[in-house]
This record gives sequence, C-alpha cells and structure tokens, in this order.
Amino acid sequence: MKKKLLSYILCAALVGVLFAGCGKKEESATEETTETTETTTEETTETTTDTEVLNIEIVSKGFQHQYWQAVLKGAQQKAEELGVKINFVGPNSESDIADQVQMLNSAINAKPAAIALAALDTSACLDAITTAQAAGIPIIGFDSGVPDAPEGAVLANASTDNYAAGELAAEEGYKAGIGDRVKNATGTVRIGVLSQDATSESIINRGLGFIDKMAELVTADGKTVTVEGNDKFVSDSKVEKTSGADVVIEVLVPAQVTSELSSIDCQTLLNKSDLIAVYGSNQHSGEAMVTGDENLGKFGIGDDKILGIAFDSGAVIKQAVKDQKFIGAITQAPVAMGEVTVELCVKAAKGEAVSDVDTGCQWYTSETMDNPEIAQNLYD
Amino acid sequence: MGTNNNKTNAAKRGIFTSAGATQKIVVILVIVALAVFFSVMSKPFRQYATLVSIFDYSYYISFMAIGVTFALITGGVDLSIGTGMITCGLVGGYVIAHKAMPVGVGILVALVIGLLFGLINAMTVAVMELPPFIATLCSMMLARGIGSILTGALSVTWPPAGSEQGWVRSFFKYKTEGGLLIPVGFLLVIIAVIVMSLILNHTRPGRYIIAIGSNKEATRLSGIKVRKYQGLAYLICGLFTGIAGIAYSCTFQAVAPGSGAGLELDAIAGAIIGGTSMNGGYGTITGTLLGVYVMSLLKTGLPYIGLQSNWQQIVTGIILIIAVLVDVLKNTKGK
Repeated sequence: MKKKLLSYILCAALVGVLFAGCGKKEESATEETTETTETTTEETTETTTDTEVLNIEIVSKGFQHQYWQAVLKGAQQKAEELGVKINFVGPNSESDIADQVQMLNSAINAKPAAIALAALDTSACLDAITTAQAAGIPIIGFDSGVPDAPEGAVLANASTDNYAAGELAAEEGYKAGIGDRVKNATGTVRIGVLSQDATSESIINRGLGFIDKMAELVTADGKTVTVEGNDKFVSDSKVEKTSGADVVIEVLVPAQVTSELSSIDCQTLLNKSDLIAVYGSNQHSGEAMVTGDENLGKFGIGDDKILGIAFDSGAVIKQAVKDQKFIGAITQAPVAMGEVTVELCVKAAKGEAVSDVDTGCQWYTSETMDNPEIAQNLYD
Repeated sequence: MGTNNNKTNAAKRGIFTSAGATQKIVVILVIVALAVFFSVMSKPFRQYATLVSIFDYSYYISFMAIGVTFALITGGVDLSIGTGMITCGLVGGYVIAHKAMPVGVGILVALVIGLLFGLINAMTVAVMELPPFIATLCSMMLARGIGSILTGALSVTWPPAGSEQGWVRSFFKYKTEGGLLIPVGFLLVIIAVIVMSLILNHTRPGRYIIAIGSNKEATRLSGIKVRKYQGLAYLICGLFTGIAGIAYSCTFQAVAPGSGAGLELDAIAGAIIGGTSMNGGYGTITGTLLGVYVMSLLKTGLPYIGLQSNWQQIVTGIILIIAVLVDVLKNTKGK
C-alpha cells in the first residue's frame, strides 16, 4: 500500500514537473513577444503620427527552432522599420497541428490587420481560413505557406523556391569541380543524391531542381545523362532514361528517416568506384553524409576526393564546410523571409496588390561563410 | 519439497541451456554465412571500413538489447527504450552544448534520465501492475515529449571527435596517430555482456528475475519479493537505455528530437533472435549480443548487394517470424 502511494506521488510529481516546465516556456515566450511589442510600439509612436498602428499576427510552424528564430529576427526588424506591431507565435513542435489551429483561431479573434501563416496541415486550418476570409482579414503564407489552400484564400507567399535552391546547388557544384570531372572523365561517372524522403514537397523540389539543372549542365557539355534509384525522382525529373549514359545521377531515399539508414545510404554511394559527388538535400541528409564518411574519409577537395554538397546549416554541416570536407552548402534566407512576410502583410492590409516573393537562398563555402550577409542565415 | 523443486529447476535449466546452446550455434552459423555471402557478393564489403561501420551501428542496439533482455525475461517488454535512448542523448547533449557543462556531466545526465525512465517503468509495471506493453508505450510517449520540451525541439550535437570535449567518442571509436580507426566500443559491449551475464545467471536477483518470468505466482508464493525484482529488471533496462543514448550520440552526428520510435524493435528483435523467450523465463545475454550482430550485419550488408533499406525491413521481419516460431516450437515441445 505504502509503495502504491509512493508511486502515485511520484507520478503526480512527474506530471507536476511537466506542467511547470511547459508553463515556464510559455511565460518566457510571451515575455519575449511582449518585449518586442513594447519596443515596436514605442518606436511607432515616435515615427508614425498620422496613421493608426497596424496589428499583424504571425503563426509559424514552431517557435523554438533556430531557423524560426532567424525568421522572427527578420520580422521584428521589418516591423520596427515600418512601424507596425507584430505578434509571433508557433506550436511546440512541428507535429502539434491542433495547437497551431488554436493559435490561428486566437490570431483571428485578435482582429489583426493581416495574418501570416505557415500551416502545418492545410486541411486542419481550413475552417479558420474561411473565418478569416469572412472577417476580411488578409492571409499571407510564408515558409512552406499554405499548400493547396482554397483559391484566393492566401493572397501571396513569402517562401524559398526550393526547386531554384536545388538548381543553385547544381550550378555551384558544377562550377566548383563537378563540371571538370564530368568533362575529363573517360568512363561513366556517378553523382549521388541523398533525399530524406520522397513525400515532402520541399524535399522533393530540392532534389528535382538539382537533378534537372545538373542534367542540363551535363548535356550542355555534350555528355549524356540518366537518373537511377528512387522511382518518384526518376519519374518526376525531366531527364530521359538512357542506358550507357556518361553521367548517372543516383537518388537514394531511406525506408525510414533514421540517421543510421541515411548514413548507410551514403556509404553505399561512397563505395561505388565511379562516384564523383554527393548532394544531401536537407540538414538530416547532410549530417548523414558526415557520419557515413567517418570511416571512409572520402569527402574533400583533392583530386582523389569525392565532392560533397549539403543543404541548410547546423553545427555539424557548418563545421564540415569550414573544414572543406564539403565544397559548399545551400542556406535558405530566414531573415529575409521574416522581412518579406511583414512587408507583404502591411501591403495586403493597406489593400495594395501583392504577389509571391522568392525569399532566396545562398551558396556558402569555407571562404564565404563568415560574410555577415550569409552568417546571419546560418544557425547551429 | 524444497530440494525436489531445486532438482526439477536444475533439470529444466539443463534442458534449456542445451536448447539455448544449439540456438546460439545456429545464430553464429547465420552470422558467418551472412558475412561470407556479403563478402563474396560485394567487393567494397570486404574492407576494413565496413567492419568498423558494422560495429559503429551495433553499439547502441547492443546496449538497448542487453537491457531489454532483462525485461523480456520477466515475461514483459520495454517499448520505451528507443525514444528513451534518444531522450537520454538529447538531454545529455543539451547540457553539454547549450549549458556549457563538461562532457562528464552530460554522460551522467544521460544515465540519470535512463534510470528515471527505468524507475517510471518499474513503478507502473511492477508496483501498479499495469500491462508492460501499455505501461512502456506510455513512457515512450512521455520520453518523446520530454525530449522535445527540454531541448526546445532542437536537434543536439555531442562534441565532435578530435575536439577537446570529444574524448567520449574515442571510447567507441579510437583513432590512432596513423589515422587507423579502432572500434574499441566492442570492448565496452563485451564487458557489459560479461557483467550482465554474471548478474543474470550467478546472483540471487538475476535468478529471481528468471524465476518471475517462468512462473510469477510460484515465485511469489516461495516468499520472493516479486515486485522488487521485477522492478529491478526495468531499472536495469533503463540504465542500459542511458548507456545506449551515450553510444548513439557518439556514433551519429546529431540527435533529433521526436526520433527513436522503432529503434527499440531492432533491440527486441536481436534479443529474440538470440533465444530470449517472448513468454519470459529464459534468455541469455550472449545470445542477445549474437542476435544483435545478425541485425547489424543485415542492416549494413544488404545495401552493398544493391538492396535498399525497404528490403532490409522485409528480411528482418521474416527472420523475426522464424525466431519467434523457434521459440514457440521449443515451448510446445517442453509441454
């Protein structure tokens, strides 16, 4: 009996700790936002005298992620500049769909001049989106936006063009060495693409952009090219399947998103004797490239090395680029995304015409990564 | 009565160990066959780096499997070890990377978190008598949530090898001055196997844990504090979840919150292939380790012969069915 009681107490304590933890986080989050709101209001009273202060609600996918911190930073900068008030919220993790819907509803109830939304799940947000439309609140999408939203519900999107980002990776990689190797090759050469999955739209586009652009560059140099591996990528790419091509682009997708399976995929590629380069299309794949190469030591810049190209940042990928293990990586521009989002919201609130904006991406190498323009977009 | 019981127990043990020994020999043969098969089929497989990789990816499964063998032997199961392991790695890494604590503290934190989950499971399964399947499923959800909350849903990187704080990684993979990589983590696994085998087979608590698995009621009636020893099995499992968390964090570059679900099945599969009975009452740590190496060989080897990871899951599924079938046949024969 005593033990039972003890166990109940322990359980209660555990739940208590959980609640305490959650409570604290929310508190600090609101503190932060109120702080920013305060500063912006002060600024606005100074700068704007004749217009009313616009309220903008920004509902992100997850408030805690570093990437989102950079978006927040951009949004705050722009809000200060334009003299508007923003409220930036987001659920605890990217799987908390219901929480996000609730946040969106609260945002609508606050009757803002505009709402910016990066929906975790469009269908879950539909009701709220209709409510906002009925209330005449304009919605601007950002990051991955609101895919498949009803016609006219989202006025414009501020997002990374992932297909273009993949193309940039191919172009820069080609310039940085892949091109020379393709041109000088006597036999078949292989370029590996590591993709975390074949379901997420952004990941697929980053892969396809790379494959299509690479094929274009290779063909322009008078060589033939084909795509192998994952069916989704083989069928969706613009490349015609040819046998005996000079360049083989091989796409590997793990059965399950685990570090281990992706690392083993990378090893499988690295063990192929005709491999010249590997492109990992997100942070997960980039990190798997580092793990997969650990025992083989094949990535680098020398002639006998394999060229590695990664996407996004994080401590591991940044270090690999810095050490010239990877020739470079693509980073999105979360700060610019935050700025553009607020800009679009203000325009939409004032009834001006708005259209989609590609917030862009940058190629960074060991030499350029400390450049402040780029460094602001890199996170640990 | 007492002596009689002891005698039958001893006799039973004799039968079981011989059956167990046959299974172990079969598993060893399977490992050898797989290694030969992959080596013949693929040239790149026959390199030292592949061997190091197989070891790399086996450490965390080995530790989880050693722990879960204890839970399985009591007739239960622990489904929280996969996510629990990730949580240990996350929180341990978090205090190192974001709170500027030395690595030693991170290791300690990982072990404590592991033990904490073990304690929760011990309480729910042994004291409150919830079904282990449900109880550990719940702690699995707890683990995932807590890991995300404590780290702010950020992935965590333990100090890289070669850095000042990266010494812990060389406990698993040691790089000589000549650049040769030595999978020293295997020694840690062997030490753990020896120690835990001794505890399971040659100490009173170990024997009690086995007894609970073969007949809980009889064990209770003979005056053994069943709750205490059943709880102990889950505590041991928790401790090894913590160790596995450290091994995982040292093998891979980053630990991502929300991941880890499904990894427990690799460990459980390893234990079952190694001859641990799903009904409890029988199992060996050495068998478990052998089972784990079947799993790691398959995972690393199949891509070398051109089969993608989807196939590996199918093969693993089939092997598991065979292993459980062997277990079932063994039991019906006994009756």
